[in-house]
Order: sequence, then C-alpha cells, then structure tokens
Amino acid sequence: MENDIFLRSLDLFKEAFPGRINQILKSKEEGKKIIGTLCLYVPDEIIYASGADRVILCGGKSAPIPAAEEYLPRNICPLIKSSFGSVIDQKCSKTKSCPHFGLVDLIIAEATCDGKKKMYELLNQYIPTHVMDLPQKPENQNALEYYIKELESLNDVLEKLTGNKITDVKLRNEIKSANETRKLLRALYELRKRDSPPIRGTEMLKVLQQMHFLSPDKFRKNLVLLLDELKVKKRENSGPRIMISGCPMASGNTKVPEIIENQGGLIVVEESCTGTRAFWDLVDENKEPMRAIAERYLKIPCACMYPNDRRIDQIIELARDFNVDGVVYYTLQFCHGYNVEKYRVAEALKKSGIPLLSIETDYSGADNEQIKTRVDAFLEMLE
Amino acid sequence: MISIGIDAGAATTKAVVLHENEIAGYAIIPTGFDFRKAGEAAYREVLSKSGMDETKVGKILATGYGRSIIGFADKTISEITAHARGVGYLIPAAHTIIDIGGQDSKVIITENGKVVDFLMNDRCAAGTGKFLEYTAKALEISLDELGMLAQVSKNPAKISSMCTVFAESEVISLRAQKTKKEDIAAGLIESIILRTTAMVKKLRIKPEVAFVGGVAKNPGVVKAFEKALDTEMQLPEEPQITGALGAALLI
Ligand code: SF4
Ligand code: SF4
Repeated sequence: MENDIFLRSLDLFKEAFPGRINQILKSKEEGKKIIGTLCLYVPDEIIYASGADRVILCGGKSAPIPAAEEYLPRNICPLIKSSFGSVIDQKCSKTKSCPHFGLVDLIIAEATCDGKKKMYELLNQYIPTHVMDLPQKPENQNALEYYIKELESLNDVLEKLTGNKITDVKLRNEIKSANETRKLLRALYELRKRDSPPIRGTEMLKVLQQMHFLSPDKFRKNLVLLLDELKVKKRENSGPRIMISGCPMASGNTKVPEIIENQGGLIVVEESCTGTRAFWDLVDENKEPMRAIAERYLKIPCACMYPNDRRIDQIIELARDFNVDGVVYYTLQFCHGYNVEKYRVAEALKKSGIPLLSIETDYSGADNEQIKTRVDAFLEMLE
Repeated sequence: MISIGIDAGAATTKAVVLHENEIAGYAIIPTGFDFRKAGEAAYREVLSKSGMDETKVGKILATGYGRSIIGFADKTISEITAHARGVGYLIPAAHTIIDIGGQDSKVIITENGKVVDFLMNDRCAAGTGKFLEYTAKALEISLDELGMLAQVSKNPAKISSMCTVFAESEVISLRAQKTKKEDIAAGLIESIILRTTAMVKKLRIKPEVAFVGGVAKNPGVVKAFEKALDTEMQLPEEPQITGALGAALLI
C-alpha cells in the first residue's frame, strides 16, 4: 500500500540540481577545480579538503551507451559503458542532464573491477585521469599501510592541481561534516526499520542518487529537512519487506526498484553503493585523519575484494535488523564480481531461511515484463 | 457459478472453465499478435466447448505473460503461482515443476501447493520451445518428427551453441558434414535438456517431478529428461493448461 502524503523535502533534492550546475559553473570561473569520481573507495574528504569540488560520474542512463560501444566491447557492464559514453559523446556530455556537464578537470579513478580499470585508460585520452590503486585483499596485514600510501599520493596530486595545501585541520573539518551526513542517513534508515516505514525505497534511492551531484552542504541540509518532515507527517507504507543487495544504481537507473514497488513490494533497505555501502561506517574523529579515513574506506564491502565474507555477514545482519521478508539480489549484466558472489550470498540466505530472487539486467527496458513476472511470483510467494 | 482461468502465454492462450471444482472444459489457441483478442477468443471458445452459459460466469482470473492486457479479468496472478496451484490440483504428489513453454522455461519448487522457490530463464530462446521450433526448421522437419527421430539416434551430435541463432547455423554445418538427421535431432534435445537440468539442479529436486508446458507433449524430450534427471516425470493429461487451471482455482 502506498500513502499519498506529499513530502515537500523530497522535491528539494531534485530542485537543487539545476542550481548546483550553476554553482559549479560559477565556482569554476572563479578558479575552483572540479573532480570526477566513479567509486566509493575514493574519499570525498580529501577532495573537499583540497578546496576542489566533486561530482560522481557513474552513468545510469542508456542513452550514452551506443556511443561507448564504438570503443568498448558490448559485453561489459552498462554502468561502465554509460559512464564512458557520457564523457565521450559530444551530444550528451555538454547537456545538463549528464553527470559530467563537460566541466571536470580531473578524474580520480580507482583499481576495482577489470572493466572499469581498462576503461580508465581510454578515458584518460579525454579527461586527465589519476588511477588510485587499492589493496585487493583488504584484510591483509599491510593492506592498510598500502592504502594510506595511495591516499598520500592522491593528496599530492590534488595539492598540485589546486595549489592548495591539504592540512590536518581541513581534513578534520571534512571528516566531521561527512560523518554528520552519514549519521543523518543512518537516522533515515532507522525509520525504515519500523513496521510501517514512512519512506519507500524508490524515494530513498532518488535521495541517495542526489548525493552524487549536490554539494555536501546542500545535501545535508535537505536531509535534515526530510527527517523533520518525516517526523511530523504520518506516512505509512506496507507490503512484503524487500532488501535489495548488489550492484550500484547510478542516477537514471531506477528500473528494478520501481518494478518491485509498483507490483506491491516495499523496499526497506539497500545493501548497495547507492545504499548502505555509501554511508554505513563513520570515520573515527579521534585518530590521525589520513589513517582514520583509510580505515573507514577499506571497510567498504565491495565484491571486487577478496575475501569478502564481511559483505555476506552484513547482508544477513541487515536482513535481520530490517526484518526483511525477502532479498532481491540485483546485478548488472557482465558484472562478474557481484554475479559470482551471488552464489555465496544465496547459500548464506538459504541457511538463514530468507527467500531470494536474483535479477541480472541492464539499462534497457527490454526485459521489464519478464522482471515483472518474477517479481510478482516472488511477492506472491512471500505473502 | 463457474470460474474461468486464462493463461495469456506468448505463443498460446489457454482457458479453463471450472465448475464445482471440476474442469468443465478447456481451450488452447495460438496467441498471435494481440493478447487481448486471443484472450477473448479463448474465453468464447471455452464457454462453447464446455456448454456453459455466459451468465453463469463468476470470476475470471488472468495469468501469463500478457495477463495485464486481459482487461475483462477480475484479477491477475503470476504464472509461477498459477502453475504451482494447477499442478498441485492434478498431481498432488509433485513438488518440483518443470515448465517449458514457447518463450521461457521455469523450475518451481512447491510445498503444500505453495511456491517456495523458483528459477526462470526468460531472457533468450535457449532452453525453450522456440529453440526446438527454430532448429527443427533448420532440419526441415516438424517438432513431432524431431522428437520421434531423436529416439532412434545411437550417437547424438554435440550441439555446443546455447543460442538459438547460433544453434541454427550449427545444425546447418552438421548437415553439411553429413551427420545423420536423427543424431542432430537428439543433439538438439540434449542441449535444451542440459540447459534446464542445470536450473533444476540449482534448486535441487524434490520428488515427484511434474513436467508441463507445450514441450512436455514431445515424447522424445520427456524420455531424454527422465534419463538426464534419473527420475520419472509425471505428466498431466493436457500439460498445457496447468497455468489456466491454477488461475481458475485461485479465484
Ligand atoms: S560497487 Fe565497488 S567498484 Fe562499484 S562503486 Fe561500489 S565500491 Fe566502487
Ligand atoms: S557494477 Fe560491477 S562491472 Fe560494473 S563497474 Fe561496478 S564492479 Fe564493475
């Protein structure tokens, strides 16, 4: 059941977007550098502490894909193709609906999955791209030290680009405000644990997608308004409680959550980079800032890492805490990491008696009807 | 009062009339382009076949790929739930249902007539009725002939392409190499079985196994399946109507 009580603050996120583009245009004229990123392992705190601004370039739309396929093989993940396409496609990259806006000075990329890594080599021909390495076995003894070294080089790259010094004071300030945002998001998710959550998954997803574009201050302000509004408005939602787990859903991609909620399900939590992985852990404010940042970010349970039991444990924990009836395991086509990890997640869920539906798809609407049938059957099974 | 279940499948539309919890009649017609028209035609046909009067119709429930387009239905339900119910009615001992239709194939595990798990292959024609239909064409034989021929093969050809389009060209090159027709036919059936048994094994069989959908009418496929799964298959008298029947029962 859907409630129809209007949430003014949800619109604020969307409305802030055009203003944000103008703000970036203006600050760029004033000499501010604009950084593009494509992964959660690149710490925002360091970028903002350098005085630069940042936008996340992950593509969730299908429009730029044909342009990208002139360079990239068809059988790689649509997120990679869409992101690359929005940079190289002239028609697209200059439009204001594109995450790139044609304004990015430097891309801070990362060595996660192979498709992305190799795409960055091509991307570098269009926009200067710095690729950070990541320890692929984050639980290794020296992984943390190695990651800190990579963050220190990132520090140097950013200082050189912006001409600003990244001081500990600045870093601490950024950590503090980023933690504030994380706490607000945790508070929002806390509301979703209720028997009748005041906010739906499709609404939450659009909020999290705006995290990619809005300035941290604006985003945080809007979160406060949203929380306030949810406190006073009596909104109730019902339906089988679903957790989404898997690949990120970049801006423009709302396909599967929309089907789930249109067919009567209610998404109560997302184990995803447009979900818990984006904000779950805090950076320790009492430690030396660079080390504290490194510790927090290395905890992100991405399927590119080995081993990744921590992700499986977290899925089970979230499923319990949010009292979910079933899990929809969402993967993008050709995303090997999340597709292979599905097997172990499925085993763990089975052991815990939690039903699972897995959906592997892309950005096209070609399989909408088939997905609807599966979702219907899954929801009927849960009822 | 009678209730009617309509299964608006991609290839065929099925309708079942239920009167006092017994099947009073059924109809199977090709869907063609328009789900809605096919649904109406199946509805009229099933009424006349069962000799029932339209005024007696209580509720109508639609299932299948085109279920949302059947505007005159009172409610819709997914074909997975519908098949589970229909098979549960006809073969109460069945706990694993394999359904191979024209456009998709699915494996459903049930407990007390309720779905507890399922897998579906619906993104491509591989492992569905369409696969056999197209490849039979490349052999220039009918579907029935394909099933019969396959049974006499002693040395099934290896068809490595799962994709229907590639399998078609593979058949043509096998023909060019003078591979026997029956061996190609058996190879084709083996390939669709391989695909489906992989799905069944993922979910683990719970006896008994029921086989429904259009492809279940092909004895060659049934035999090969029984061999691959090492278990006997339970077949309803009319394997194509379990979805529509389930819908009628779920009203
Ligand atoms: S899924 Fe992994 S690679 Fe992708 S954004 Fe998240 S952390 Fe980065
Ligand atoms: S979704 Fe998977 S394949 Fe795509 S960029 Fe992320 S990790 Fe790589």
